[in-house]
Amino acid sequence: MNSADQSHNFATAGLPAETVGDVHVDHPRMTARNVDVFYGDKQAIDNVTLDIGEKQVISFIGPSGCGKSTFLRCLNRMNDTIDICRITGEIALDGQNIYDPKIDVVPLRARVGMVFQKPNPFPKSIFDNVAYGPRIHGIATSKDELNDIVESSLERAGLWNEVKDRLHQPGTGLSGGQQQRLCIARAIAVSPEVILMDEPCSALDPIATAKIEELIAELSSEYTIVIVTHSMQQAARVSQRTAYFHLGKLVEVGNTDQIFTNPQHEMTNNYITGRFG
Amino acid sequence: MSSLTLGIAILIISAAYFFVANRASSSQRAAGTKFHSLPHYYGLYAALLAFLPAFAILLVLAIGDDLVFRSLALDFVPDEVKASKNYKEVIVMAQITNVVDGINFGEQPDWVYAAAEAWKGWDATSTTLRTILVISLSLLGGMFAYRQVNPGFRSRNAVERIIMTILAASSAIAILTTIGIVFSVIFESLRFFALVPVSEFLFGTTWNPQFEGAERAGSGQMGLATYGSVPLFAGTFLISIVALTVSVPVGLFSAIYLSEYATPKVRAVVKPVMELLAGVPTVVYGFFAALTVAPFIRSTGMSLGLDVASESALAAGLVMGIMIIPFVSSLSDDVINAVPQALRDAAYGLGSTHSETVRQVVLPAALPGVVASILLAVSRAVGETMIVVMAAGLAANLSFNPLDAVTTVTSQIVTILVGDQEFESAKTLSAFALALTLIVITLGLNFVALQIVKKYREQYE
Repeated sequence: MNSADQSHNFATAGLPAETVGDVHVDHPRMTARNVDVFYGDKQAIDNVTLDIGEKQVISFIGPSGCGKSTFLRCLNRMNDTIDICRITGEIALDGQNIYDPKIDVVPLRARVGMVFQKPNPFPKSIFDNVAYGPRIHGIATSKDELNDIVESSLERAGLWNEVKDRLHQPGTGLSGGQQQRLCIARAIAVSPEVILMDEPCSALDPIATAKIEELIAELSSEYTIVIVTHSMQQAARVSQRTAYFHLGKLVEVGNTDQIFTNPQHEMTNNYITGRFG
Repeated sequence: MSSLTLGIAILIISAAYFFVANRASSSQRAAGTKFHSLPHYYGLYAALLAFLPAFAILLVLAIGDDLVFRSLALDFVPDEVKASKNYKEVIVMAQITNVVDGINFGEQPDWVYAAAEAWKGWDATSTTLRTILVISLSLLGGMFAYRQVNPGFRSRNAVERIIMTILAASSAIAILTTIGIVFSVIFESLRFFALVPVSEFLFGTTWNPQFEGAERAGSGQMGLATYGSVPLFAGTFLISIVALTVSVPVGLFSAIYLSEYATPKVRAVVKPVMELLAGVPTVVYGFFAALTVAPFIRSTGMSLGLDVASESALAAGLVMGIMIIPFVSSLSDDVINAVPQALRDAAYGLGSTHSETVRQVVLPAALPGVVASILLAVSRAVGETMIVVMAAGLAANLSFNPLDAVTTVTSQIVTILVGDQEFESAKTLSAFALALTLIVITLGLNFVALQIVKKYREQYE
């Protein structure tokens, strides 16, 4: 099937030929150039070009099935686990193409960590959950160092005070919000450069959500964060830049303030004002 | 009427009630009355009430009348016969029922013919009574249901309750049968333990059963009969351990391959093929073990300068191990597949390799289920009979050398109960004691497996 046929899979009416707004930033940590993603014959991402700025939070918004999660999962090659998934174009981390055959996916994923939609702690103790990454990558050289990493990761995830007396109880026994913060602690324990978050609050109650959002704000001083969210308020609260996806295309990207107060493209405007999505 | 014709009769009555009740309800419905349930529920309710109670009574009577006749027939036996030394109720009953069935072995005493005549009379009365009882119960049940065909009656809910009762009764049959088997084994075992002390049976190290006749005649081949079951259980465990050393690693590794590494196409072929192993009759495994594996082990052992029995625990254990591979692999594959993809994603997302993910995340999460599958394989190995009868030998050696011939509990039960036997002897009864011990062990293992599975369910929710 050639690309002309594939584009018929999309209801292209109203979609811009090119992304509206500035896709480039001054200090990009990751750069995506002309990225296409196919699941079998179905095209899920269509020619996306986007920079992800260093120590910035960028949020991906858009209606269900618009490809924002798919694009997120391309950034640390999590889509590799799906056999029928095929990616073209270039995604680079610090200027290095992560889809280069010479790149080993294992250290890549340590540099680009991920937090999932549903909290997924391992059925191990809280300590072992956080210590998992440092152990497999040999980050800690001594037991004390490992303890320090676990403690500082839990502290940065704002969970230390709640769990310090029960580090050896199963992580699955925590509440949903605590589990998600445990997963964030687990992700930052390997000192990633970029953290990808795939709707990290969609399974949580408002109070737990507020805590995670607070945490994201704190983490953004040290990490580059990409967050997929269904909640526009959340995107407005936590992110500096916002990218609006629709039907596999990146419709508009810009500073969050500008996207939510003065969207340039009509589809973005319609989505923001709740006319569809 | 015979039981079969009676059964057909009540089926016909039920069908008739179904149509009548269905029609009654649907015609009233057509006339505008609002019914609680759809017409066919009224029909079904009537049919079930016409069939089930009558059928239950039919079953009870078919089994029960014989018992009543037996106790009645005993009255015909003269007191002097009852008092004699060789009196056996079973034999007297056989004499009487043979005459009833028209089988005659020579001339019987007069009281036998009298009893048989009376028996035939009871039989006729009973058949008549049974016919009347069952048919009228069926008619009454159906009539009762038919009279309830009115708009207020909730036949849909009533049918639901009846269906639940039928389902519960079916599961009760399985449980009652198990209890029945256990009790029959317990009673025979008690008779055995009246002859042989429990301590000798459980802790004795020599297994040498003899017919009492042979013993009394002084021709017992190896002196007095002894019933120490330790060598049998030792043999069973030796062979089981050999079998598990084969099946657990192979089964577990192939389960990991199938669920974590194989492409869907490979999996679609390999999994059913492996499960075919479970479909091979154990007797086929038995002669494979006895005719192919055992001689091979023996010749290999000889060339290495080892003394190998021609029937060895190793041969039986290896083949049994092959046989139970699918039990381990299939169940483990299921539990490994049940580990949520989210856990694997989490591990990959942290930069784990494939095998790190399997070893450190998937297997620990699946471990309780894997253990349960291994325990089920153990139960299977302990209870397996045919392979050991054919390949492990019958010599009750107390040995932990897998190259020796050993025997197992199950193969001893087979040798004891095959062929002619004297039922009252300790030798025959010992089979029941062995069976009882085996049942206790397997039930214990299943119980442990169930507990682990229960714990497993709470794992990642």
